[in-house]
Amino acid sequence: MGNIIEVTGLKKKFGSLEAVKKVDFTVKEGSLFAFLGPNGAGKSTTIDIISTQLQPDGGEVLIDGYHLGRDDDQIRSSIGIVFQDSLLDPLLTVEENLQIRGRMYGKSRAELNTAIETAAETAGVDEFLKRPYGKLSGGQRRRADIARALIHTPKVLFLDEPTTGLDPQTRKRVWEMVLKLQREQGMTVFLTTHYMEEAAQADYITIIDHGEVLAQGTPLELKNRYASDMLKIKPVNDAELATLLKELGLAFERDAAGIYRIALNHTVEALGILDQCRENIANLEVVNGTMDDVFINLTGTEVRS
Amino acid sequence: MLSIANRNLKIFFRDRAAVLFSLLAVFIILGLYVLFLADTLVDSLPVFEGASVLINSWVLAGILAVTSVTSTMGAFGIMVEDRSRKILKDFTTSPIRRSQLTGGYILSACSVGVIMSVVTFILGELYIVMLGGELLSLLSILKVLGLIVLSVLASSSIVYFITTFLRSQNAFSAASTVIGTLIGFLTGIYVPMGSLPEAVQWVIKIFPVSHAGALIRNVMLEHPMEVSFSGAPAGAQAEFTENMGVVYHFGSYQVEPWLSIVILLVTTLLFFGLSLLNVSRKNK
Repeated sequence: MGNIIEVTGLKKKFGSLEAVKKVDFTVKEGSLFAFLGPNGAGKSTTIDIISTQLQPDGGEVLIDGYHLGRDDDQIRSSIGIVFQDSLLDPLLTVEENLQIRGRMYGKSRAELNTAIETAAETAGVDEFLKRPYGKLSGGQRRRADIARALIHTPKVLFLDEPTTGLDPQTRKRVWEMVLKLQREQGMTVFLTTHYMEEAAQADYITIIDHGEVLAQGTPLELKNRYASDMLKIKPVNDAELATLLKELGLAFERDAAGIYRIALNHTVEALGILDQCRENIANLEVVNGTMDDVFINLTGTEVRS
Repeated sequence: MLSIANRNLKIFFRDRAAVLFSLLAVFIILGLYVLFLADTLVDSLPVFEGASVLINSWVLAGILAVTSVTSTMGAFGIMVEDRSRKILKDFTTSPIRRSQLTGGYILSACSVGVIMSVVTFILGELYIVMLGGELLSLLSILKVLGLIVLSVLASSSIVYFITTFLRSQNAFSAASTVIGTLIGFLTGIYVPMGSLPEAVQWVIKIFPVSHAGALIRNVMLEHPMEVSFSGAPAGAQAEFTENMGVVYHFGSYQVEPWLSIVILLVTTLLFFGLSLLNVSRKNK
């Protein structure tokens, strides 16, 4: 499968602020691609550029073989976007909204009706098609947003934090819909999210901060590289364990509760350590590295606003 | 472009508050007249026959000029809202040309202006007929309809120019309130212009929408004036037309209808041109 999005050397400045310094990445056709970064990292700017809303100061973007800046209309026809905020008209019904937005893609009336039916079914908005968008619940609105983005059966679906602000049940439902679109319909999904358990299900992840790419890879690669498994031991005899660990030459931390944390390169290393202090263990736990660890390791622990 | 215009029309007419608010100035005018101005005006006229029909026709003509401004303003409110709520993003990421989008907004504003003005016109005429006045002749009705279109074009271009500067919902509400209130004075409708100071009269005469008002008055008052001034002393009608802003004079030069029409057309072109300049300046 080829690359459906290729971004090279993307740059964008707002006055003196370099929102995007140098961003390169590629997205494989039919994959679920997660684009991560803390607030203010340059995610939204990058998406705004790729979706033809902002002109870059430098760099090149290819989407489905079309050049950004030259074939903008073709790009617009091949992408669908679910924005962070709700952008449909609250006073109109979901169906009217879909009709109006669908007409912008130059479809005939018959084509449009089929497209609305398909999109409504995929996104599960059938039951409230005739209700005003403004009267829907948050989850229903999100589904309507997704239906709108699917109206022209785009090649790439951009989702900008699609599950933010939803309750856990709705979040799960929206997320399953996204996965289904990618797995069953072969749609390329480009996703930004703050939920690492969602990112962990992506095929490929790119993490950016301060306008630059920090790391890219599959979730597994990133976890192996930037997060380590951890062995936690609560000893019976404190000093004995400390001496043993020093003898073994292992780096460790001891927290206030008297629990020793030992970083592991491989999960199985835990067995060797445990064998040597079997008698001294009051309690133990082996924790796998998570995408959360990867993210925090790469972008630091400070809180951004 | 048509689908965008269609959308805007749907949104505008579904938002009852917006529709009512866009007629705010009309209600102010009606209130003023119903409560006290009508009687004072009728009393001050040197005529007896058909005085109330004459005054009511005069008020209606003024209201039509004002409606063309306030209703298009209401319709352009959708554009400001799309901008401030970022709904615009959804359009700019679709394969639709910027010009089609802008055209859609302008088309919908003009349609709203014409629809609201025509409705006002019909209701006003019904009221005048109920009072015992005569319905306008077919030719005059057609003339008024033509003038409504012309006046809506000129007004919407001015309003569009103003809204290109407005980024937020608050700024828009403030602007539309100010305009809705001022417009009655600017077009010489709240108070007959003859009773205003010379300087204010000049402002009225220079303001393009007043010319729409004068043209509409010209058509609508033609017959009522014949009735009312048939037995009146010479010069009474001339004084009336001057005082009530049916014809304007720049010094001793009397503004002919064709000149008023030219003023409206030039205004339309000028302000659409300025708006385009302003919009393209911002897009860079």
